[in-house]
Amino acid sequence: MIQLESVEKVYRTSKIETVALTNVNLSVRGGEFISIMGPSGSGKSTLLNVIGLLDVPSGGKVSINGQPVTSYSDRHLAQVRNEAIGFIFQTFHLINDLSVVDNVEIPLLYRRKLSGSERRKLALRALDRVGLHARVHHFPSQLSGGQQQRVAIARAIAGNPRILLADEPTGNLDSQMGDEIMEVLKRLNEDEGTTIVMVTHDPRLSGQTERIVRLFDGRQVN
Amino acid sequence: MLKNYIKIAFKVFLRRKFFTFISLFAISFTLVVLMVAVAFLDHTFGKQPPENKQDRTLCVFHMVMKTPDGGGTWSSGGGYKFFDRYARNLNGVEKMSLCTETEPVFSYHNGEKIQSYLKRTDGEFWQILEFTFLEGAPFTSDDEKNVNFVAVINDATRKKFFGDESAAGKTIEADGQRFRVVGVVANVPYLRRTPFADIWVPISTMKTNNYRGELMGNFNALFLARSRSDFLAIKDEFQVRLKQVEFPDPREWNQMYGVAETYFENTSRSAFGRQENYQSQNAKFLAALIGAMILFMLLPTINLININVSRIMERASEIGVRKAFGASSWTLVWQFVVENVLLTLIGGAIGFALSRFVLQAITKSGFFPYAEFHLNYRVFLYGLALAIFFGLMSGVYPAWKMSRLHPVQALKG
Amino acid sequence: MIKHLCKLVWNRKRINFLITIEIFFSFLVLFSVIVFAVYYLNNYLYPLGFNYENIWSIQVDTRSGSDEKDKLQRLAKTNQIISALREFGEVESAAAVWAAPFSRGDWTSGRKLKDGRDFDYSNNEASDELKEVLGLNVVRGRWFSKEDDGVTNYKPVVINQMMARAFFGDEDPIGKDISDPDDKERKEARVVGVIDDFRKNGEFSEIRGYVFNRADFTNQQSFLPRFFLIKVRPETTAVFEEKLLARLQAEARDWSFTIKTLVDMRANVFQEYLVPMTAFALVAGFLLIMVGLGLTGVLWLTVTQRTKEIGLRRAKGATKRRIYHQILGEMFIITSLGLLAGVLVVVQFPLLNFLGFADSKVYTLSIIISLVLIYLLTALCGLYPSRLATKVQPAEALHYE
Repeated sequence: MIQLESVEKVYRTSKIETVALTNVNLSVRGGEFISIMGPSGSGKSTLLNVIGLLDVPSGGKVSINGQPVTSYSDRHLAQVRNEAIGFIFQTFHLINDLSVVDNVEIPLLYRRKLSGSERRKLALRALDRVGLHARVHHFPSQLSGGQQQRVAIARAIAGNPRILLADEPTGNLDSQMGDEIMEVLKRLNEDEGTTIVMVTHDPRLSGQTERIVRLFDGRQVN
Repeated sequence: MLKNYIKIAFKVFLRRKFFTFISLFAISFTLVVLMVAVAFLDHTFGKQPPENKQDRTLCVFHMVMKTPDGGGTWSSGGGYKFFDRYARNLNGVEKMSLCTETEPVFSYHNGEKIQSYLKRTDGEFWQILEFTFLEGAPFTSDDEKNVNFVAVINDATRKKFFGDESAAGKTIEADGQRFRVVGVVANVPYLRRTPFADIWVPISTMKTNNYRGELMGNFNALFLARSRSDFLAIKDEFQVRLKQVEFPDPREWNQMYGVAETYFENTSRSAFGRQENYQSQNAKFLAALIGAMILFMLLPTINLININVSRIMERASEIGVRKAFGASSWTLVWQFVVENVLLTLIGGAIGFALSRFVLQAITKSGFFPYAEFHLNYRVFLYGLALAIFFGLMSGVYPAWKMSRLHPVQALKG
Repeated sequence: MIKHLCKLVWNRKRINFLITIEIFFSFLVLFSVIVFAVYYLNNYLYPLGFNYENIWSIQVDTRSGSDEKDKLQRLAKTNQIISALREFGEVESAAAVWAAPFSRGDWTSGRKLKDGRDFDYSNNEASDELKEVLGLNVVRGRWFSKEDDGVTNYKPVVINQMMARAFFGDEDPIGKDISDPDDKERKEARVVGVIDDFRKNGEFSEIRGYVFNRADFTNQQSFLPRFFLIKVRPETTAVFEEKLLARLQAEARDWSFTIKTLVDMRANVFQEYLVPMTAFALVAGFLLIMVGLGLTGVLWLTVTQRTKEIGLRRAKGATKRRIYHQILGEMFIITSLGLLAGVLVVVQFPLLNFLGFADSKVYTLSIIISLVLIYLLTALCGLYPSRLATKVQPAEALHYE
């Protein structure tokens, strides 16, 4: 499903060069739930961004569904992100100007074939799957942190992507809310076979996943 | 897709009502001021009845006479004698008319005092200018030659003297003289300097014949050229004629200056030039007008840029999220284009309605007698296009730069 | 603290630069309106120098033109008309004058003073009765009278106080000559009296030098008057006008007369000053409201973007008061930068002879008023956003770490 071959990432500014990833090889099968762990600054988020095509690696090859995507154009990358991948962020990144259901509709907006009513239907179904059908017309600022993250998950799954990428999804939540979110993710993985890659530094969460990839100073350690 | 963008834009507008309000306020207010200024210029200088042949007409509004040493200056309208003897039969001129500058006169009618503006003129006046006659017909050159006490009055004057009744054939009193009304014309605005008056009567009805011997006086001359291309030759020949003037006492006054010009040229020359210098000052005057407009628009523009730039920073995270969920850079640029254009169009619509309201209010206020200020649709569209341009520059340019960013950086906020 | 604020302002220079520019232009707009307002108000508060109530102006067109041949005859007719006017029971006094108060048209002259300054002043010509009609206040010497009849070796003139001060300083001007020394054909113009500052064009017009010449209708050199001024009894109504006009026309069949009250003429002049002023003030006012709203918006956004920074400061022990002062202080520095640039530009204007009508007192006052108003505006704009900033909880900062 996801294939990384000797991926490198170097950040260059005019003054310094920072190596974020060195020679990472990773293969994730379809339907797998893996977690990436490592201390702060070890390159976890960079790795996730490279997998999610949000960041272009400085070297190596990335393939999604067997297709090498490294040389794709901006438009093409956007299409792959839209159809194959869903994102969940630590700070939710909901758009405050839009209501819950409008936020969930965002990935659907960038699909040409869908009509307004179809979008609405898919968005409501996604909200239903995360148990938030009662609050669809609220605005993000009116919701609790846990609810906001559930909206973010609904947004990530609204377009039925085969891959979910989660960057510390429980990092801004208390443990009870964090557990709830973890339950939602596990259900998605088990019931629908969604491939999930989760960055976390909480061993309690990574313990619940099938496989753990550890990073230290941008290198894989095992 | 466009429908989606519009929907998103409306949602953003409604959620951020305060910023939407500021933008709309700035756009519509700027348009209103611009429209009122343009309507005013158009009303004063633009082509409108009865000056339908304005683009073929030159006038002499103002003359200057000087002493031999140049120290003494007499400036006023031209004298009848000067125009009659020296300004007739210029090459390329089809018709020439003389008229006095309008002056206020009083009539006592049924114990009431009525103020009107009176202009004395000749038969050609009615051929160069195309007045709309509601009743009767203009007086003729023969009326002028035979000293007939006849008058053309405007609609407002008819109302003041005769109410709703017809006026043709009746007599009115003005400035102590009695005139038989031969025609009634539609009102002409006060700001139209050449045609404006309430009552028009023949020159020869003047109380004395002194005017016939004057080089300087209160006369204006109108020249109807065969075509616009003759303007330069006419202006030049008029200057030659000025040199031919014989002065009654050359030790007292011995030089005369004046220019055959359009009213716009006259205005720019009195703003920037000197009466003795007949170089056109149009370029300077136009530059000053445009400069004033740009200066005025500067503040709203900076204000708009300021808000848009601040808002783009606020919306960095939104851009990141949209990119993460499959929006390409172009899609995002389009979203912001639609948002800005839509906002400008709404502001334009409000500005349009407000401009019409303000212009109507000025028209109704009666401060400029008989004035009708109209919205200039063409200029309105220019203004709107300019507003859209600034909206795009201030809103879309930063958004475009932002959209080139890696989503990772945008998401960091 | 100040140094710290300056550093903050500098680090956010892109957005602050835009705000500074906006404040700079706002200051220019405001100043250009204020300088006119202050100038006109300053003039308005100064005494007018004459009465205008119950005075009628009769504008006369004597159809004279450049023709001099029957001038004496017309001057004689003028004298007759003044006598005729006085015969009416409704008329208390009547005078002839070249330019009536609040009428259009000025007769101006310029002169280089001893100290090298160019001094412009206005001239007028009036008959002996003008003092009585307009209630002119003679502070030194006397007004024109029969005494001046037959005087040929000099021209008697009455000047106003400003003119006396400019020409003669503290010396007694009575008996002195004000004719132009450069004029070869000059005739002595002897000051016989000084009156209060007379401002023909009304309350809003500038305070300038003024010279009255004596109208002598037996002298061919005299101007033909353009106005008769009559002081009527307070209860006189417009009905009198028709009677008056009939009499005037009977006296001079080929002349034209236009009767108006000085009160009406004054109202007209007022309108001419006030309408454009109001239009400009309205436009400037709306511009400033727009700027105010814009600044509030920008500051508001700034505060929401800086929640983290503000929360951190709170967590590190800054009081609400301090945060409040910090936001307002930053605004103060940005505003001051814009205003500094504005003042630097504005003080160049008098050097370029632009807005030359305003003296340094009016100019300085206008700058100060504009500065205060802009500071008030920005403070007002900063009020809500800085209050918002104080509501940021220290926890919010940690939340995002």
